[in-house]
This record gives sequence, structure tokens and C-alpha cells, in this order.
Amino acid sequence: MSDNGTDPKTYPALGRLLLWVDRPGSANRIFWALALICAGLFAYDFTFEKHGHFSMENLPGFFGAFGFIAFTAVILGAKALRLLIKRPEDFYAEHSVDTEDYPASGLEKRDHDA
Amino acid sequence: MLDQIPTAFLFICAALVVPFLPAGRVRSLWLLLVPILAAWQVWGLELNSHMQTQFFGFDLDLMRVDKLSRIFALIFCMAAFLGNLYAWHLRDTVQQAAALLYAGAAIGAVFAGDLISLFFYWEGTAIASVFLIWARRTEGAYHTGMRYLLIQVGSGVILLAGVALYYRDTGSISFELMTLNSPATWLIFIAFGIKAAFPLLHNWLQDSYPAATVTGTVILSAFTTKLAIYALARGFAGTEILIYIGVVMTLFPIFFAEIENDLRRVLAYSLNNQLGFMVVGIGIGTEMAINGTASHAFAHILYKALLFMAVGSVLFRTGTSKASELGGLYRTMPLTMIFCLVGAASISAFPLFSGFVTKSLILDEAAGAHMYIVWGALVFASAGVLSHSGIKIPFFMFFAHDSGKRPAEAPTHMLLAMGLTAFLCIAIGVFPAPLYALLPYEVDYTPYTTSHVVGQLQLLFFALLAFGILMRTGIHPPELRAVNLDSDVIYRKWMPRVLGRLSVITATLWQAKLGFVMRRLDSIVTGLYRSHGPEGRMARTWPIGSMVIWIAVILSATLLLNFFG
Repeated sequence: MSDNGTDPKTYPALGRLLLWVDRPGSANRIFWALALICAGLFAYDFTFEKHGHFSMENLPGFFGAFGFIAFTAVILGAKALRLLIKRPEDFYAEHSVDTEDYPASGLEKRDHDA
Repeated sequence: MLDQIPTAFLFICAALVVPFLPAGRVRSLWLLLVPILAAWQVWGLELNSHMQTQFFGFDLDLMRVDKLSRIFALIFCMAAFLGNLYAWHLRDTVQQAAALLYAGAAIGAVFAGDLISLFFYWEGTAIASVFLIWARRTEGAYHTGMRYLLIQVGSGVILLAGVALYYRDTGSISFELMTLNSPATWLIFIAFGIKAAFPLLHNWLQDSYPAATVTGTVILSAFTTKLAIYALARGFAGTEILIYIGVVMTLFPIFFAEIENDLRRVLAYSLNNQLGFMVVGIGIGTEMAINGTASHAFAHILYKALLFMAVGSVLFRTGTSKASELGGLYRTMPLTMIFCLVGAASISAFPLFSGFVTKSLILDEAAGAHMYIVWGALVFASAGVLSHSGIKIPFFMFFAHDSGKRPAEAPTHMLLAMGLTAFLCIAIGVFPAPLYALLPYEVDYTPYTTSHVVGQLQLLFFALLAFGILMRTGIHPPELRAVNLDSDVIYRKWMPRVLGRLSVITATLWQAKLGFVMRRLDSIVTGLYRSHGPEGRMARTWPIGSMVIWIAVILSATLLLNFFG
């Protein structure tokens, strides 16, 4: 990449508009906004009567808790699985495309400022 | 006149013309026109009509048009159109002809009213599609294509065996609802199961789709597996075992997807998981559940194609689709990023996106039938979908750490294809009624109720929150350059290794045995040679003198015997 390529002025307008996500503190702000949305959704559960198929479903925040726990379980399960099944990238080499470069003739590699 | 030609023939004839068209805009335009024409034809077909023809004394039905086959044929036409638009830049006759043949075979199979024409088209999809993998033209792609072809053709051979037995049992070849009570129907079931990527029969999917070309994977993602879903819905609706198979299918791929580095393989695992939802719907088998399966297949083809297009565009511009090599691309590929997010939101079933209005039909049927565990597993899997397709794909490609890559935005035709697909994903989510009207049975369902919307938003946002916490605490697994074993290691590594060892052992034993026998034979031959050979005792020329002595001895012995005898 040329130095020129990293100059934000050359990015597409839409890309420049989104650069705030990389500013220091933005990740924090996004996280707390997310937490706020979650709190709001939990609170909203008390404002209407639920008619779930199962009685459990009618507990306030049931789906929130389910989502949180399920997601964490998936990540932890996957981490544990990785310990068992991770292999070097060339494990199947020559008989698979894992370590091959994609043939350049099928691509149109180009920098945004080219 | 158009309604006299089976839709598949339209595609096949059009594919035959492709090599004679100049490679360029004319040909690319031809590739767009054919699916439009076919969709128009399918739309105009009368429901519950047939097209009978004779073949070696069998009555084939090349066009069984009903609402179930029509919706699959229509979405296949749309997928062919969108895939070909995405591949507008392509100047490769092989891939272009293969794309049309593949779509044609898939549509032919969907309309097939008998098992023999189903078999022909079934194999047709296998043979046409492998060229989309070989078109990458590398050693790895060649081997992957061979593995893919073996399994796909194998599925067809098993289907043929099943059909032959089925004909012997029932005297009929018509493709109707079957029950799993004979070797014939089991064989047909397994043949369908291979293409539907049932657990342990699934590896061809994750093996081959990441090996195809940029545009080939988009095309591949639409047809084969959804054809199998259609075939299961037609032949085995209400077969209980499918519920459990489907549940396992929704669950196991999410763990593999989470730690996979190649984003196109992540999407292949995710595809497998989505098929699981459809298979559960078929297993439940009620009218609404079949509606759920058909609508989910419809929506899924679009958002899955969209996600493959987005990853494909990044591959097209950067040369890699590996999460460990990507990141921060939102700066220079913002439109691709937005389209990718639409696909991610659709597959994660955010309200107002297509997955929300289709998947819930299946979940509601499971809940309505009081299948607590099945329902719970499907909700769990829905959170899992968010983790790999909803978050991992867009986050590690466009955000996360800055890879320093500043690729140009995807070419216009790719943006157009993605934009159109994204539009359809949102349109279905916001106005589900037209899709519901296309479904095989009457739909009486309101997806947008307060409890459903809030419940789904809670599920997804709390899962996002969990992602935030896991990222901040560093627990979330990093993206690494590695491959992960799946059950295909059995036939890709272990079996060849075991066979290799066995062959060494057999060879050694054979050599030892052969050596022993040879030595025995040798010693016999040497022994014989020693006694009977030119130098042997038996071949010695004896002097006449000794012969006379011996004669004299014998004579005297005879005389003595005579004298005393």
C-alpha cells in the first residue's frame, strides 16, 4: 500500500463518514449504547402481556437471558473445540486450496486510489 | 409456445448457444436474459399442470407445476439472474455455460414429477456444478472438485438404486410422498440427505464451496442444497427423524463456523446450519411448517447469495477471504460493507429483514407442537447464527483491527447485484405478504406481533452485548491462520493413511511368503539339478568295464539262484 493510500481524504465519502468508529473511545461508546438498548428492551418486557407457547417464555427478559447465555456458550464451546481440531494451514496442502493463492487472473486486485 | 417447452430445456439450449456468442457484453446480457425469460415462463404456467412424455416405456412427467415446485423454480431463476449479474465481468465460457446448465438442471429436477427424470437432473446438477470449482484452475481446486464430484455422483447412484428398488416394490416411478419403511425409500432418503448435507454427510459442502471461483461460489450456494430441501419436502414431509437430523444440523456447524478462518467456509457452515431449520420444518411436516421451509429456502437463497457476494467482492479486490488477513475495509469498501450488513441482519433474523418473517414460521410450528427441546435448540441456533454470520463475517472483514488494506470498492455490476439482493432481503422483511402468497399452502400468520419483535430483539441484542463483553475481556477466540478438522479427515487423511499402512503390511507379508515359497522351489530345483542335471549322478556316463562287471555279478547271482532253487 502506498502512503497515499492511507490518507483518509482519498477514501469514498461514505467511508470517511464512518471513520468515527475508529476514534479513541468510540468502541466504548458503542458498547454502552448497546447495553442501554438491552436495558431498554428488558424494561419493555414489563409493558405488555406476553402470550408465549411456554410459560417460561413469559418471564421478563427470558429471550435476553437466552441470547446472552447461548452466545457465550457458543463462543466458549468453539474455543474448546479449537483446542481439539486446530491444525496447521497446510494440513491438507496440495489436495486443498487452503494455502494456495487465488489465481490473479480471476481477480481485479486494486487499491482504492489506483 | 413457451409453455410447451420444459423450463430446464430453455436453460440447456441457452447454454449450448453460449460458446458461439462473442465473449463480452452480448454474452453477459444473454446470461441475464435467460433467467428472466424462464421466470416469466414459470410465472405464466398453469398450476397443477403436467407435461407427460414416453421414455423406454416409462411415463415421465417433465413439468409437474404446483405451488411447491413453482416457488423453488422461481427463486432458482432469481438466483441465476443475480449470480450472472454478479459475474457480468466474466469472460470464461466454461463457467458461463456451466452456470446456465446448473440452474437448468436444478429447475428441471424441481419440476420433475417422476423419479427417473429427477435422477437425470440430479446428476446434471452434479456434473454442471463441478466446473465452477475446476474453473479456479489450481491443483487444490482440481482435487477438491474430484472429491465433490465423487460424492455428488455417488448421491445420484444411490438415488438410482433406490428408484430401481422402489419401482420393483410399487410398480410406480412417480415422485410422491414416501414413507421410510423399505430399503428403496431409505436409499432415496440417503441420496437426498447427501445433497442436503445431513450431519456426517455434510463435508463436501464446506470442502468445495470455498474452493470455487469468486462468482462460482455465489452460484453454487443457491441450487444443490435447496434442490435437496425441495426433494425432501416433496418426498418425506412429516418424517419424524428429520426433526432430529435438522436440529443436529442447526447446532454443530455454529461451533465450527466460529473458529473457521476462511470466511467463505464460515458461510458454508452457516449454510449448513440454515438448512437445518428447513429440515426441521420438513420433519414437522404440517402445512405451516412446509410453508416455513419453502419461505425460508426462498429468503435464505437471497441472503446467503448476498453474503457470498460480499465476501467474494473482498476476495476479488484483495486476493484473500481469510479473516486473519482482513479488517478495517469499511474505509474504502463502504457500500459492500452495507450490503454485507443487510445480509447479516437478514440471516440473523432481525425484524424488518427477510429471515425474521420466514424462520419464525418454523419455530412457531415447533413451539405449537410443544416440542420444547427442538424449539429451544432452534432458538439457541438462532443466537449461534448471529455469532458467525451476523457478527463474524462483517466485523472481521470490515472492522476489527486495521489490516492496512485499502482496496477499491467492488465493481459496479457487483454492487448492482448486491444492491438488488439486499433490496429483496429488506422488501421481503418489510412486506412478507407477496412471499406468503407464493407459498404452497394458505398462510395465516402475522410475524410482527409485539412479543415476537421484542423477544427477537432481546435475543439478538443481548447476544451482541455478550459479544461486546467477550471482545473486551479478550475471551473471544482470535482469527488464526489454521484449518480445523471435520469428519472429512476420516476420508481425506486417516483412511488413506490406514490404507497406506495396510498396503505396506500386505506387501511385506506377501514378499515374505513369496520368498519362502521361492526358496523351497529353488531348493527342489537345485536338488533335481544335482541328481538329474548334466553333472548329476543319474546323468553320469558309466564306463563299459563297470557295466560288464555288474552284468557278470547279476548273471552269477541268477545262476546260483537257478542252481539251488
